[in-house]
Amino acid sequence: MNDKRFDEVEHTADIAIRVWGHTLDELFANAAYGMACQLTDVEDVDPTEEMEIQLQAADVEMLLVDWLSELLYLGERENVVFVEFDISWVTSHSLRAIVRGGPIVEHQAHIKAVTFSELNLEWTADQYETNIVFDV
Amino acid sequence: MASKNDFQRIDEYTWELPKDYRGDMRVPVRLFVDEELFDAAFGDRSIEQLVNTATLPGIVKYAMALPDMHQGYGFPIGGVAGIDASSGVISPGGVGYDINCGVRLLASNLDWEEIEPFVDELMDALYQSCPSGLGGDGRVRVNKRELDNLLSDGASWALKQGLARQKDVEHTEEHGRLHGADPSKVSQRAKERGLSQVGSLGSGNHFLELDVVRAVYEPEAADAFGLREGQIVVQIHCGSRGFGHQVCDDYVKKLQSAVQKYDIRLPNRQLVCAPIDSPEGQAYYGAMACAVNYAFVNRQVLAMGAREAFERVLAGNVRDFDLRQIYDVAHNIAKFEDHQVNGHSARLCIHRKGATRCFPPGHEAVPADYRQVGQPVLVPGSMGTASYVLVGRQRAMELTFGSSCHGAGRTMSRTAARKKVWGHDLRDALEQEGIAVRASSMKGLAEEAPLAYKDVSHVVETVHGLGIAHKVARLEPLGVIKG
Repeated sequence: MNDKRFDEVEHTADIAIRVWGHTLDELFANAAYGMACQLTDVEDVDPTEEMEIQLQAADVEMLLVDWLSELLYLGERENVVFVEFDISWVTSHSLRAIVRGGPIVEHQAHIKAVTFSELNLEWTADQYETNIVFDV
Repeated sequence: MASKNDFQRIDEYTWELPKDYRGDMRVPVRLFVDEELFDAAFGDRSIEQLVNTATLPGIVKYAMALPDMHQGYGFPIGGVAGIDASSGVISPGGVGYDINCGVRLLASNLDWEEIEPFVDELMDALYQSCPSGLGGDGRVRVNKRELDNLLSDGASWALKQGLARQKDVEHTEEHGRLHGADPSKVSQRAKERGLSQVGSLGSGNHFLELDVVRAVYEPEAADAFGLREGQIVVQIHCGSRGFGHQVCDDYVKKLQSAVQKYDIRLPNRQLVCAPIDSPEGQAYYGAMACAVNYAFVNRQVLAMGAREAFERVLAGNVRDFDLRQIYDVAHNIAKFEDHQVNGHSARLCIHRKGATRCFPPGHEAVPADYRQVGQPVLVPGSMGTASYVLVGRQRAMELTFGSSCHGAGRTMSRTAARKKVWGHDLRDALEQEGIAVRASSMKGLAEEAPLAYKDVSHVVETVHGLGIAHKVARLEPLGVIKG
């Protein structure tokens, strides 16, 4: 059983990951987890802070970028990294989730932003897949 | 994906991909590289990104890349596009997230021998006076009203606050203030992020370096800039921090609907844009100019931090510890300039993404005391290697809309660099070479290892050979503060 949630993809200047999910909520959770793994060693994070996130966007790719950008922004503001994602509702245009995180013990990358570069959400044989490029 | 055979070689340093390579290109693509760097350009997706850039409405002459080109997002890094100001578009993807990331060079009147006994102490003082690393507050905290003034006025605001000298302002691109900044077009979130970070280096490839001038190539220009062999100088490389990132993020999203509204066909969403004269395009320009001004002030406040550190350590120990500003240039910017297109002067919105303005002798935008020799162009190398001061030449106006390279350019991903190099080993190796290192993250240090970059000397020789900028001086590091 392959329990990997994302792969790192080579990118000359920035950080890129490939993520997948059988459902949109799995894809969104895996993308957020993949991003958290770039920021720090998630095993070290004690998820004591909980927040609710609600978002709306014009299409599903924008919603994915908004979701990850929101996690980055809240993480920077609260000085935490989010590592657990309970997505109760996600469609092509809206999302509601409870996220949990904790302080970063050791920083790895600093992600400036989530880009649309290489973002192309596809339904393959049995799952959604896309690359995500982070500006660092 | 274009292959080498799709390109025509124009001369030793110029390669062209014709407009008919892809149906949606409006202009050809030009790479300004030598044969070796041309081969290297096929190692990532930078050429594809430049082909995408060539599709932007209003782009004139060609979409071009300089020898430090490599893959980015939207535009490639090292990419330049001139877009007709009346009929074309402005694109946040052509500027990037770190709006007005740039370099400032300060020169002392000291020689290496004079500061040698104090280098460690000086590096500690610089590390303390110039906050670096993730998050982290800057040297100055402003309130909301002051932030709006800072965003509108840039370096003029710093001057009024006693955070700059008149010469600092004169020796900064655009005098440290891009006109047309409109704080009302900036989101509350961006402003919130900007309040606490004025005067901070940040992380990633940003740095502050203590250097010695190791060689002078063009004495006349070096004299004009006040540079001589053996002299101690300081380089500051950083940008607009969380403020600029948020401005770009906001407008990459906002302009997605403008693309539909104005029926613009784009091959990549990161190239999102709006007509320059549309409300959306004007709003982005107004907000982007705020971030440009924020970055000018950020580097200005760090320069004052460097001066303070020099004074703290060297006062009473050396005859003269002052730092004069040589110049400050932007690497990521969109701005309006007049250039010759098909024999006529045209108002263009020049997008420089990982590229430096490089104006020739006599140009009115060059500071009066440098005008006879041309604009200083600052090209930082990768960590632990050389950096260069160049001077703009007329050829740049003919070939590259007055633009030159901005650095070495990466060749290796951060992950690959981390697999090859340990941060601690790298620090030890640099210190063995006599380079003092202060870094907030060893992983961050490894990602910036010199082996992940092109050879900056090779890049500089290429722009020198091309004739767009001439070498003036080579700087070598004595100490590095890595964000």
